[in-house]
Amino acid sequence: MNPRWLAGKVAASLVTLVFVLAFNFFLFRVMGDPTTQLARLPRASPAEIEKLKSYYGLDKPITGQFLDYAGDTARLDLGISQRTRRSVWDEIKDAIPWTLLLVGTGTVLATLIGAWLGVIAATRRGRPADDGLLGFSLFTYASPEYWIGIILILVFAVWLPIFPAGQQMTPGEDFSSWFAQAADVAEHLVLPATAMTLMLLGQYFLIMRSSMVDVLTEDFITVKRAIGLPWDRVVRQHAVPNALLPLVTLSAIQFGIVAGGAVTIETIFSWPGLGELTYDAINDKDFPVLQGTFLVFSVAVIIANLIADCLYFVLDPRVQTS
Amino acid sequence: MTDLRVRDLLFDTWRGRIGLGVLGLFVFLAIFGSAIAPDNPTASSLDVLAAPSADHWLGTTENGEDVFSQLLAGARVSIVVGFAAAAISAVLGATVGLLGGYFGGWTDRTLDAFENWFLVIPQIPLMIVLARLLEPSLTVLIAVIGLTSWAGTGRIVRAQVLTLRERAFVERARALGASDGYIIRTHILPNTLPLIFANTVLIVAVAILSEAALAFLGLGDPTRISWGTMLENAFSSGAPSAGAWWYVIPPGLCITLLVLSVSILGYLFEEYVNPRLREQHA
Amino acid sequence: MRLRTIVAVLVAMAALIAAITALPAGAQDDGGKKKVLRLGQAQDVQTLNPFVAQDEENFRAWSLNWDLLVNFSPDDLTPVPGIAESWDVSPDKKTVTFKLIEGAKWSDGEPITSKDVKYSLDKLGTDSLIFSGYTSNVTSIETPDENTVVVKTKQPDARMIGGLFIYMIPEHVYGKVPLAKLKKDFQPPLPMVGSGPYVVTEFEHGRILRMERNPNFRGEKPAFDEIQFIKYGSADAVERALRLGEIDAIPEAQAPSFEKLGQADNVKTDRAPSPSFTQLTFNLCSEENCPDAKFNPAVQDRTVRQAIAYAVDRERVNTISTRGTSFPGHGILPQYYKSWYEQPDDDYPFDPDKANQMLDDAGWTREGDGTRSKDGAELSFDLFVRSESPENIQAAKLVAEQAREIGVDFKVQVVSVDKLTEITTREVDGKMAPDFDTFIWGWGGDPYDPSALLQLITTDQIGGSSDAFYSNPEYDRLFDEQAGEFDHAKRKELIRQMVALSQRDLPYLVLTDDPWLEAYRSDRMTNVAKQCPKPSGDVLCQQVNYAAIAELEPGEGGDDGGSSTGIIAVIALVVVAVAAFLFVRWRRSRGGREPLELET
Repeated sequence: MNPRWLAGKVAASLVTLVFVLAFNFFLFRVMGDPTTQLARLPRASPAEIEKLKSYYGLDKPITGQFLDYAGDTARLDLGISQRTRRSVWDEIKDAIPWTLLLVGTGTVLATLIGAWLGVIAATRRGRPADDGLLGFSLFTYASPEYWIGIILILVFAVWLPIFPAGQQMTPGEDFSSWFAQAADVAEHLVLPATAMTLMLLGQYFLIMRSSMVDVLTEDFITVKRAIGLPWDRVVRQHAVPNALLPLVTLSAIQFGIVAGGAVTIETIFSWPGLGELTYDAINDKDFPVLQGTFLVFSVAVIIANLIADCLYFVLDPRVQTS
Repeated sequence: MTDLRVRDLLFDTWRGRIGLGVLGLFVFLAIFGSAIAPDNPTASSLDVLAAPSADHWLGTTENGEDVFSQLLAGARVSIVVGFAAAAISAVLGATVGLLGGYFGGWTDRTLDAFENWFLVIPQIPLMIVLARLLEPSLTVLIAVIGLTSWAGTGRIVRAQVLTLRERAFVERARALGASDGYIIRTHILPNTLPLIFANTVLIVAVAILSEAALAFLGLGDPTRISWGTMLENAFSSGAPSAGAWWYVIPPGLCITLLVLSVSILGYLFEEYVNPRLREQHA
Repeated sequence: MRLRTIVAVLVAMAALIAAITALPAGAQDDGGKKKVLRLGQAQDVQTLNPFVAQDEENFRAWSLNWDLLVNFSPDDLTPVPGIAESWDVSPDKKTVTFKLIEGAKWSDGEPITSKDVKYSLDKLGTDSLIFSGYTSNVTSIETPDENTVVVKTKQPDARMIGGLFIYMIPEHVYGKVPLAKLKKDFQPPLPMVGSGPYVVTEFEHGRILRMERNPNFRGEKPAFDEIQFIKYGSADAVERALRLGEIDAIPEAQAPSFEKLGQADNVKTDRAPSPSFTQLTFNLCSEENCPDAKFNPAVQDRTVRQAIAYAVDRERVNTISTRGTSFPGHGILPQYYKSWYEQPDDDYPFDPDKANQMLDDAGWTREGDGTRSKDGAELSFDLFVRSESPENIQAAKLVAEQAREIGVDFKVQVVSVDKLTEITTREVDGKMAPDFDTFIWGWGGDPYDPSALLQLITTDQIGGSSDAFYSNPEYDRLFDEQAGEFDHAKRKELIRQMVALSQRDLPYLVLTDDPWLEAYRSDRMTNVAKQCPKPSGDVLCQQVNYAAIAELEPGEGGDDGGSSTGIIAVIALVVVAVAAFLFVRWRRSRGGREPLELET
């Protein structure tokens, strides 16, 4: 990989990051009136609002405030949650692993299942199986993921109570072993991960399918077939790997959609990740936390895009030779 | 001849017919839904979370309101927000794409950076942040969704403009002394319109889903019923745990069907537009 | 694919399943020894720091962790010994001497002394967000010895006994923390040192708050070893958890699903009056107090307000907007206050005919069914209500509906709570200038002393918590007098006169008295009694007194400890799917066909 090219990409990402910071800052300081937001007391008197104003340093000039903000963020000081009075970074830190678990499981499953279905559909193009799969994936793409989540709850936690009510572990239990705890988490993970997988499935399926269709019509496939290789080996060993390329980078680029899905799905299942943190912050009008999670989501997307660019460079032989 | 193809696609394929039919139904409901609803959607009663019956075809909500009436009334918000937000997005995206693509240079680079940034920012979290900072209302929703969804259109339009700009007929026009504005208006814009249109239809689908998601998170217009707020109310009042499937399934189903129909039409237009990209009239 | 490979894979899966099912299902309790009471809530405890906290969930934990100087009796909510064992009021009533309980210890072994009392009253009374105001009358707090606290007040102040809702916190823990930190992000060290039956030992935000028995608790040892407050993402999830048996009780159940919840297996619900109400507020600010206020002057016509009171059927508002879970309102003092409550003479029973008559007599005329007017003024008012409360919105609509019958037009405006705060606290040139005609909101008071609620409509509170901006010197005078009256009968009479004034002038039309709504598993909790106050209080005595929870005993219903049917179901599904897949592949390779054709 060309180091200059890489440096360029990283620099571009950093610039975007600076814009995100500036946007985040100005949005909250300038657009909303921070003082009514800061006064959590539902019936704060004017005197209390004045006190809060000076306490939060809102009487300094704007550029000064921004530099403060930038410096603080670099030191991971994202402020204090208005609701819990803990540092925002602490709240976020605790939540990130759970979101990663949920999102990671969902993405991996969606990729695997989507790719597999995509191959099936592409090799039976135009036939009922293909139409059926297309319809199914279009349906899951068009349906709101939280609606799917609620239906899963209805079917698998209410009518057939085989799955727990929410959270990521049976609360308050002392687990006898690491394995027991992992099994408990897994049990709680099933429904939310299913919802997330169904949400992402459609895209992976469609991309894989069209990518496969493209590849299957290429010359080198016809050649392999002509020289007598068995068809399913042609598909498995030659067509599929080439078709997988766009899929790999799709995961990274999909991050924006995944972030949105995380918020709604975690809320429904009481899954204590960044999504539920965001939802609580929305309801409590806890702006420091909202600012913090938004920043984290944005940074994650920027990093994901950077990784996607690198991956594509590495995996696509055509880009490498250029 | 081009018009004939579109009509063919719309009316002679079963995809087109279904898409148009379902969309038409929802547009009809958006206009007349409240009028034909059997009950006032906000008329509460003591019959709370009741199962479907002769009186209430889809049962009642946690306030004893008629679910079916709410369903009919909710179509309006989805359609209005979906189309309005997509329109804003189209105008913004097209403008940025046209100006950047045509003028190039620093204009292009700044606009492109701006566009890239919007593409990178996660959409739903951005919408959440914007909506939370303002008082939730229909206008705010339309503005927020419209202002965050234009980047995709912008990029596509820009690419298209870049190729068009180098065409012979544009060179000729410039040689004859035509102004930039004239060239954009009479040569570039008409050729990008089909592309903008096709892309915008797909944005409508995204806008509808976004409105529903924002409403579900509690950021919707509190004075209006929409399918998203129905799901939010159902969820926060314990309807799933009470097994009230009649309250939980229909709103989501409507969202899905509406988005499906719009998407099908969108893909149809895209198909129509793509081979036509190479054609132009001088 | 070879048959051998298929068999090998299946065997491996079977082994995996055996391993997982062999381990204890989910997680067994250690022999079921520990008795745990699990309470579920949709809102997390905000923070344990009493200086900055504001939400009621915090009180649920605090009331188990700490005592007040003077506690509330679970029988009738009257003052009973807390940290103070007895008290003496001086003849001039401006000095109250508290004798503290002897030999009491904090949960960490340190003795509870007068130093702690003085610290708590001083610091929490002045520098906290939610406990300030109670000591506004206090001139000095002296501690002549370890077991005595002498409180001197400017005027006689009956709140000193039974009205000081300030928790007694340990000075040796909080005293050494700088005040700035206490008010910013201080988190009390755990276990949280306290004097109640349980102390907080673990607080995992967004998940669980654990409280375990206080080894130095001076009362009878409670039956439950541990109390857990478990946070779920929504009220829906909490109810589901109760039905599934994951939790044992819900301190705050939802009105819409309350009835249905009570019908579930092994679930009992409980509904009791609480010290809070929902009211329709009228803008009564005078020219003197609010020269720049904006409102329809007709709202300050007493006859109009009284007519509206007769026209609104509070029973109906209660039945429809809260699904009958609340209680109809009868004035500014909710029925919860058993010691002080008397049904007001001016109670405004539902009588739209009378309302119409009153308005007709006063000269408010209408054309047909239209809005009444007189000398150019119209009886058309805006009615603000916050979007966050569906019950309030419902109530607003009902009020508007019924007022229309008597020719009064309410324009219901649903706004966010921020906006409502804005218009009710609007200021111009340093003076209050509220911009509304009417709005619906609610207030909550303290368990015993009615001053907190009665104070809302005093002149002093204009610029503070007064939102009706009512100003009546007679009412103010009565308020000060009752605040200093230690004799119960005399005080009750003074309060009666105050309520009478407020009912005559109607700054508030109290629509409903709001309830505690609780639900619990009857198979998990026994010795459940309605108290605080008996016989009609709530079963958890939440936020008020720890007696009820300390008396609860575990029931017969076993602790499922979380079944693992879910994971088994999934594994089974995966096994079947894999088996089917392998089978199909094996069949195909046997047949040697080429099933995948490409359509060209």
